[in-house]
This record gives sequence, structure tokens and C-alpha cells, in this order.
Amino acid sequence: MDFSLFSGVFILVLGLLGIGFYGLLAARNLIKVIVALQLLIKGVIVIFIMAAHYNNQIDLGQSVAFTIIVADTIVAVIGLALAVQVRKHIGTLDLKKLTTLRR
Amino acid sequence: MASANFTIPANLILLTIGLPWLGALLVWWIGNSHPKAQNILAVAFALLSGVTALALIPFAGKETALTISVGGPFGDFTFVADGLGIFLAAIATVIGSLAVIFSIDYMHGDHQLGRYYAMVLFFIGAMAGLVLTSNMLLAFVFWEITAFCSFDLISFNNDDPKAVAGGIKALIMTQLGGIGLLGGALLVYSYLGTYDISTFLAGANKLPANVLSLMAFGFLIAAAAKSAQFPFQTWLPDAMEAPTPISALIHAATMVNAGVYLLARFYPAFEQVPGWTISVIIVGVLTALLGALMAMVANDLKRVLAYSTVSQLGYMVYAVGVGSIFSSQFHLLSHSVFKALLFLAAGAVIHSVGTRDMMQMGGLGRRMPLVRLVFIIGALALAGIPILNGFWSKELVLESGMSDGPQWAYIIMVITAGLTAYYTARCVWLVFYGQPRSDLHGHGDAPAAMSVALIPLAIGAFLTELLAGPFIRMLNETLPFHSIHELSTLEIFQDVITAPATLVALAVIALGLLAWFTRGFLKGLSRPTQGLVKIAANSFGFDSINNSIVRLIQVCAEALRNTQTGMISWNVFGIVGGLLILLAILLIGA
Amino acid sequence: MYANDALIWLIIAPMLASPLAYFSGKLVQRKINTGKRNWTEYIPGVLTTLILISDLIPLSICAQTLLDKGVVSVTFGQITFHLDGIGFLLTTVVLALGSIVSLYSLRYMREEVGEEKYYALLTAMIGSIIGLGCTSDLFNLWVWFEAMAITTVMLVAFYRQQPAALESGVKYLVQSATGSVLVLIAISLVYTQVGSLSLDVIRDSVQSPSLLLITAGALFFIGFGVKIALVPLHTWLPDAHSQAPSGISAMLSGIVIEAGLVALLRALGSLFFTGNQWGYILLGFGALNMLVGNLMALRQIEVKRMLAYSSLAHVGYMLLGLGTAAAFGQFNGAAGGFFHLANHALMKGSAFLAAGALLYTLHLAKGDHAPLVVDDLAGAAKRYPVVAFALSVAVLGLGGLPPLAGFMSKWQIFVAGFETKNAVVIVLVIFAALNSVLSLAYYAPLVNRMYREKPSHLVETGKPASLLFTFPLILMTIITVIIGFYPTLLNWLTYPAASSLMALFGA
Repeated sequence: MDFSLFSGVFILVLGLLGIGFYGLLAARNLIKVIVALQLLIKGVIVIFIMAAHYNNQIDLGQSVAFTIIVADTIVAVIGLALAVQVRKHIGTLDLKKLTTLRR
Repeated sequence: MASANFTIPANLILLTIGLPWLGALLVWWIGNSHPKAQNILAVAFALLSGVTALALIPFAGKETALTISVGGPFGDFTFVADGLGIFLAAIATVIGSLAVIFSIDYMHGDHQLGRYYAMVLFFIGAMAGLVLTSNMLLAFVFWEITAFCSFDLISFNNDDPKAVAGGIKALIMTQLGGIGLLGGALLVYSYLGTYDISTFLAGANKLPANVLSLMAFGFLIAAAAKSAQFPFQTWLPDAMEAPTPISALIHAATMVNAGVYLLARFYPAFEQVPGWTISVIIVGVLTALLGALMAMVANDLKRVLAYSTVSQLGYMVYAVGVGSIFSSQFHLLSHSVFKALLFLAAGAVIHSVGTRDMMQMGGLGRRMPLVRLVFIIGALALAGIPILNGFWSKELVLESGMSDGPQWAYIIMVITAGLTAYYTARCVWLVFYGQPRSDLHGHGDAPAAMSVALIPLAIGAFLTELLAGPFIRMLNETLPFHSIHELSTLEIFQDVITAPATLVALAVIALGLLAWFTRGFLKGLSRPTQGLVKIAANSFGFDSINNSIVRLIQVCAEALRNTQTGMISWNVFGIVGGLLILLAILLIGA
Repeated sequence: MYANDALIWLIIAPMLASPLAYFSGKLVQRKINTGKRNWTEYIPGVLTTLILISDLIPLSICAQTLLDKGVVSVTFGQITFHLDGIGFLLTTVVLALGSIVSLYSLRYMREEVGEEKYYALLTAMIGSIIGLGCTSDLFNLWVWFEAMAITTVMLVAFYRQQPAALESGVKYLVQSATGSVLVLIAISLVYTQVGSLSLDVIRDSVQSPSLLLITAGALFFIGFGVKIALVPLHTWLPDAHSQAPSGISAMLSGIVIEAGLVALLRALGSLFFTGNQWGYILLGFGALNMLVGNLMALRQIEVKRMLAYSSLAHVGYMLLGLGTAAAFGQFNGAAGGFFHLANHALMKGSAFLAAGALLYTLHLAKGDHAPLVVDDLAGAAKRYPVVAFALSVAVLGLGGLPPLAGFMSKWQIFVAGFETKNAVVIVLVIFAALNSVLSLAYYAPLVNRMYREKPSHLVETGKPASLLFTFPLILMTIITVIIGFYPTLLNWLTYPAASSLMALFGA
């Protein structure tokens, strides 16, 4: 494998995962958290494609990638639907205010 | 399920356990709208199980009488009808029947009669099972069932927070001790591949020494917790919130004896464990002494009896410690009879006057002569006055303590006998004699069903010592691992009468009685003991130790709840942090 | 040969039931839009229940072959389904509990808007759990796992008008999505190293630990661990379990977290090399879960939240059993762990359904979404004798009192612990026993409270309990007692599962 390709992809993955986790830990807005989840999962897709490439099974990589995209789209849709309901019934998307269930 | 061979003893064992349980179901099923039918059913099933337990006596044997093979890690559920088991099962069912009869009057008009009788009957069956089984897993099962019944009956009046607290305390403490039994049974299984008690007793030396001693001390903890021995004695006085027939049955005559039974049953295996017998002696002596001291200063009638139970159980444990299994079981028998009598009589008093505070009683003897008579009989037996059963058995315990145990322990036990006489006299006096100290409107003497329960026990307090000879023969024939010296009743009596220990003990008991009746003169002398009185009244600080442990756990739990912040970022931090820690552990470990 | 067809039916029947329940519900709704209620509103629920119960038929056919050959497998295009003992256990428990829950929901969900969605999602969730139990491929494992997560999130947030339910749904979604990302990373790492996704191929080609595989193992632990509610990943669980409709709480606690556990065991089983560090980590999490779960439940006043925290503790017991199996090769540990899984589904299911019945009669039926607190239960036994008795038996069984089912499975786990003759594990077992005692400190007062003489105000004004509540409860209570008296009754279920697990962990 080409070294520069590997390191480029590596940096890309680290960047996506890093931003994603940072977003999960730091974001106060529900929409931002959903975006962060999307970033994370995109990072994972890249790892998968990379691994498939490395194992010379790019067709497997493709089908896996598509499946993941479908699954994570569903997650995003549900997340956004929840966000709509949260906005409607709680009146805010601020996660710091979504802390009535505790202890 | 069963490859059981249904011989006569097997059937009798099943009936002794099963009849009360069936009765419990029926009583519960009928519902609280038919209290009469519930009374009849409960009494009938309790009596029937008493009959079957007594019918077992001629079939006593050392062989396994009933095997229900279950397999796997549960072993075979086996039962054996040996002398020790039948004896305790008979006590449980007979005194259980009397307590149920007593309850007809005592619990009259209660709204949850079904739950009450169901639990009592469930308890009777479980107690019979506990002593008849020879499978340690099953013993643990029955052990826990009795603990649960005791819990539910202590907190029978759930609206009273004190009763609930007492029940939960009893449950938690006996369960904590139960872990000792659980660990012991599991150790036996992991080394010998069986739960069978006889196999274990025969092969105890196959276990590594440290495992055996772990087991021995585990069983000691279990026994101490169940029998309210030092340092677990605190739950029994709080258990006095139970209806009084329950105190008589569970917390005097049967369940609390389970610990002593356990020690006696396993004595041959643990005898050789270094430090075990002396630990048992220490536990027994300390408990007997502390219990007696607390009984001397308590003002609640039932608590006095509870402390005295603790103290008398100390005697039995001490007897096991010095190696005299027979005298401990003999004292157990006497104690169940006279203490059940005392509790039931106290129940009649409480039922009549509506309070348990002895400071509000006084002069009740004139209004309830029958109760006074039987209470005094019980009290004399407790104090160890000849010719009542308590005298013979206590003297026997003290005699074997003098010959086989350490001298200091013997001396403390004799002094405790004197203290026992003192608090017994005090109790009788405060309740039945002197001037009424408050304006209590009693209903008068015990009603019919109560009398039916009281009178046989009072007669028993005179007569049970006659059973000593047959009992010792039965034990000797059916317990292959215990070395019990066979004697006839007459020989035992001669033994006791001629032993020097008896004279000493009687002298001390007389001193104790004298001390109560001359308390006016001793006022000056008692001044320096005021501090001791105060400590004893506070149960020597054990209650506050318990409370602080409970509080510590609660504070921890409350503090931990703050970690559930409800914030998503914090929750995700838990995930990421957990990952990092796990990775660190794996990478360092790998 | 029947077995292969049966396996296909086993998996797709719930999948077919899902749209069926949805559309039948929609049709019925159009017909009865007059506002008057009649029997037709039961149609989706009855359909669901019947399909779930009849799915037990293919299951029993599979069971025959399974007991003969040890495994049933069928290939469907490129995907191979592979029913072994563990999958059989999971499938049996989920179908049994699912049937009971859908029966119970007939009454519980009757008045809810979108009842048909509830049944559609419930069956889809059951279907994905069955799929998860039968998968033979690491990526498919993830797909089923994700399907299960998605359906459960929607069910948790089913009361979408209620702020608390929405909040718990959001938390559950975010945490479980994070977990599933970690699982995916782990899968991609394994795939990078091995070049295959098939569990068997991975298992055969992995011989020695490498940095990549150890990292993957840790990621599996944490990723699936979110669903299993390992401490400290458990924070979603009390919220989700207490806010979901009670039938779903029972499913979540009874089988969904255990499905996560099965997924974890499958994934780890493929990464099992000479060292047995996974077993030790299972034991460690077990101890942590027991302690934290019980302490958190100790001072809890909301009933469903208390039961939710106690699920943490019970996962701890399962981990203890399975950990002794993985680390020390104890067959009893595996059998005991799975026995406890089944018993926990039974008892915790019963506890949640009973608590739900009380929640319904005391709160929901009056149109009030307040949580059920312990004080509300005072005197419940008088008015709701069956429900109170079922709840008492269930919680006492969970607390490990004999002769109830929970005691026997704990005992088997403890036996396994002692059989290792390892001092640390024995101390761990004692610790677990202490935890059982601790758990009684919150279960026992609950029981006491229900048997008070003086009922709380809510109980006095409560609605009557339907037969559809009491019948499932009676059934589960009786089974709890029977298993307690005859503990080897479930051996046909737990022993094959244990054998499969032992095969996974190289014994």
C-alpha cells in the first residue's frame, strides 16, 4: 500500500473520530450531537473501505459501507425526529436543560 | 422428578414438611373473610404435622430416608430422620401447634389473618425441613425460608415503622450470617462433590485444613447470626415487635435454635479445627453474660424475655463448645418449653392490658391467677430451680462445662445463672406483684384457647426432663459421628444431684434471688454499677455500631446517586472514559 | 431438513408480523374512527401475540435438530444463519417473554394513540433479537444489533408527548449510537487484521494476541457494554427503563440487555486466544455492576427506576457466571449465567409488568403520567392482591430468596465460583452474596409497603386491574416458584447454551 495514501486516510479518520467525540462531549445542542454521531460513523466507513482495500476485497467493503450508510441514516432520521418532538414538547434543544431524569 | 422410595419414614417426612405448607396455601386461599374457617384449618394442619413428626420417632435411623434426585450442581435432595432432626422437628411442630392455638384468641379480629397463618404454617414446615434434611443446599434453602417467615411475621403489622425496621434488621442480619453457611456448603461441594452432611462428616479430613477451618468459622458466623449470638445479638430484641405467639414460636422455641442445631450437627467435623471450640465457648459465654446483664435492666416485658433467650442460647452454644452435644440439646428442649410458656403467658398479659412496659404493670396477679401461675412455673424453670426442667438441663450444661471447659468460662456461666435468677424474680415481681403502677384496664384472665396452649406447656415444664434417657438413647443410636455417652434418665438425675457443680450453681441462684428481694439494702452497693446499667440499657453499644454501618452504606448510596447527572455529555464521557481505562488495563496487562 | 425451513420461518415470522400488525391496526382504526371502542381495536395485538406464540413451533422443530446435531444452519443468499445453543436460549427467552408482553399490552396499550406502531416495533425488535442470536458473521451481528437498538429507541420514546420519555429516548439514542460506532471500529480492526468477517474464520485464524486485536476486544467490550449497561456505561438504563411503556421495560430489562451480552460473547468468542483476560474483565465488570446497581437502587423511591438499577446488579451476576466460564472453563458458570439470564427475564419481566399494572391502574388510567413511587404502593395488596403478590414474589426472587427461581441460578453461579478454588473468585462470590443481602434491603421494604393495612390515597381511588394484567402475572409467578422447587427444569435450555459457550471459549 502506498504510504502517503495510508497516512492521509489515517489523518482523515483520526480527524473525523476526534471531531465526532469532541462534539459528543462538548456540544450543547441536540442537532450538533446528531451531526457528531454522523461524523463518527463516516470515520468508521472510511476505516472499513481502507481495510477492504488492504485485504483486496473492495466489493465487500462497498456493500458494508452501503449497509452502514443505511443504518446510520435511520439513526439520524430518528434522532432528528426526536429533536423535533423535543423542540415541540420541551421547547428547547439545549441538552443542559434535558436533565430532569437524574439520580 | 423423583426416584424416591416411599417408605413409611419418607412419607412421614414429606407429610411433616408438606402438611403445614398445604395448610398455608389453603388458609391463604380461603381469604380473610372467613376467619373461623381459617382458625380451624390452621390449627388442624399444625396439629396434623405435629402428629406426623411424633410418629417419626419410632422410625429414627441414621440412613437416608428420602432421596429426591435433582442432579447438576444442586445434588440430591435427601432427608434423614435421625434423632437430632426428629427431636427438633417435633419441637417445631408441637410448639407450633400450641402457638397456632394460642393465636386464635391473640389474633382475634385481625384483618390479615390469612397472611399470618400462612406464614406461621410455612415457617413450621420449613423448620421441620431444615432439621430433617441432610443436604446442605436444602438446609440453606430452609434456613432462608425460616428467615423470610421470621421477617414477614416480625413486620406483620406493616403500618408500624418500628415493626418494619425490626423485621428488615432481622432479615438482613440472619442473611449476612447465612453467607457463612452458603460458603461452607459450596466449599464442601467443590471439594467432595456432594452436599450430603453424613458424607462430609465422614470425609471431613479429606478437606485441606485451611478450607475446613474456613468452613468451621463460616458456620459459626451463620449460627451466631441465626441464634442471636455475640456480636449479632441485636436483632432479637428488635424482633419483639412481632405478635407474641410468633415471639414464642420463632424467636424462642424454634428458629433461633437453628444456629445451635447447626453447631451441634457439625461438631464432629469441626472439633479438630484449631481455635474453633474455644471460639464457640467465647461466643457462648459472652452472649450469655451480656444477655443476662441486658435482661436485668430492660423494662419492656418482651425484651426481658428476648434478652433472656439470647442468654440461654449462649448456654447452649457454650455447651456445644465444651463438647457436650447432649446437654446443649437437652437445654434446648427445656428452654423451648419454658420460654414458649413464658412468652405465651406474657402474650396473655399484653393482650389483656395492652402494653409491654413493665413499669406500667404491677399487681396483675390478682386479676389473672392462671397466667400468674404458669408464668411463675416458667420463670422458676428459667431460673433453674429444682425440680423443673430448666434446673436439670442447666445443671447438666454447667457440669460438663466444669469438667471439660476452661475454668474462667465456667465461673462466668455460674455467675450468669445467678443473674438469671435475679432478672427472673424482678420480672415476675414487676408484672404480677406489688401495687398497680398505672391505671390499666385488663380484660382479666386468659381466654379459652390461650389456656389450652398454656397448660400443656406448664405441665411440660415439670416433665420434659423425664425424656432425657430415651432422647440420649435415640441420639446415640442415630448419630454415628457424634460420641455420646448413653445414660438413663435416672443416671442423669443422679449425676446432676451428686455433682458438686449443682450445689455451687444452686447457691449462686439463691444469691441471685436474694439479691432481688433484698434490693433495698443493696441500694448503696449498686451505686458503682450505675455506669454498667447505663451501658447495658444501651445494649453495650452494639446497636449504635449497627446503625452506623447502615448509615455509612446509605450515605455511600446517596453520594453515588450524584453520578447519575442526567447530562448526555457526562454519559458519553462515561463511555469514553471506560474505554480508555479498559484499554490501559489491557495494554499494561498484555 | 425440516429444521432448515423452520429456522427461516423462525426468523422471518416476526418480521412479517411487524407490517401485518401495522397495517391491520391502520385498517381497523379507519373503521372505528367514530370514537366508540369495540373489540376490533384488539386486532393488531391479538395478531402479534398469536404470531409470536406460533413462532414457538418452528423453534421447537429447530430444537430437535439442535439437540441431535448441536447446530442448525441455513444459508440465505450470502448470509448464513447459525442457530447454536446460545442462539436457542436467546430465541426461546425472547419469544416467551415477547408473547407474554404482547398479551399484557392488549390492555395496557389499548388507549394509546399509535397502538399499531407499538406492535409493529415490538415484533421488529423481537425479530432482530432472534436474528442476532442466529448470526454467524461479525458484520451481520452489528446489523441486527443496530436494528434492535433502533426499534428499542423508538419504543422507549413511545410516549412522544411526554418530556421525560423524549429525554430518555434522546439519551438512549446517543449512547447506543456511540456504542455501536465503537463496535464498528472494532469490527473494522478485526477485519483489517484477519481479512474476513465470518466468526468461524476469525476464530480459526486468530492464534495470538496482537495490539490490534486487543484494542478490538476492548472496543467490543465498551461498544456492546453500552447495551449491556456495564458500569460506567449504564447511565441510559434507568432513564429508558423507567420511561418506556411497562411492557417494553420488561423486554428491555429481560432480554435486550442480555442480547447485548450474547453479542459481546459471540464477538469475544471469536477473539479468544490463549490468554483468558476477557474472562477476568467479565468478572471485574460483574463485581462493579453488582455494587453500583445495588447501591443506586438502595435509596431509590421510583419503583420502575429501582427495578432498572437492580438490572445492573443482575447483569453483574450473569457476568460473574460467564466470567468463571471464560476465565476458568467452568461449565457450571456458563450454565448458571444463562440460567440466571432466563430467570432474570422471568422475574424482572414479572416485576416490571406488575409495577406497570399498578402504574396503569393508579396513574395512567387517570390520564396522569407521573412516575410510580414506593409510597403509592401502600396497601396495594388489599385492592390488587394478585398484582401485589406477583410483584412480591418477583422482587423476592430477584433478591435471591429460596425457594424461588432467582436463588437457584445464583446458587449455580456460586458453585462455579467455588469450583475454581481460586481465592479471588471465592472472595468475589462472597461479595456477590453480600450484594444479594444488600438488595433485600430495598426489595423487602417494597413488599412491606404493599402489605400495609392503610391504603394510600391513590390505591383507594385506583381503577380495577384487568384480567389481561393478572393472567400473565399469575403465569410468571407460578413458573418462578416451580423453577425454585425444581431447578433442573430449564436444563434443556441452559445446558446446550453452556456447551456452545464452552466451545467458543476453547474448552
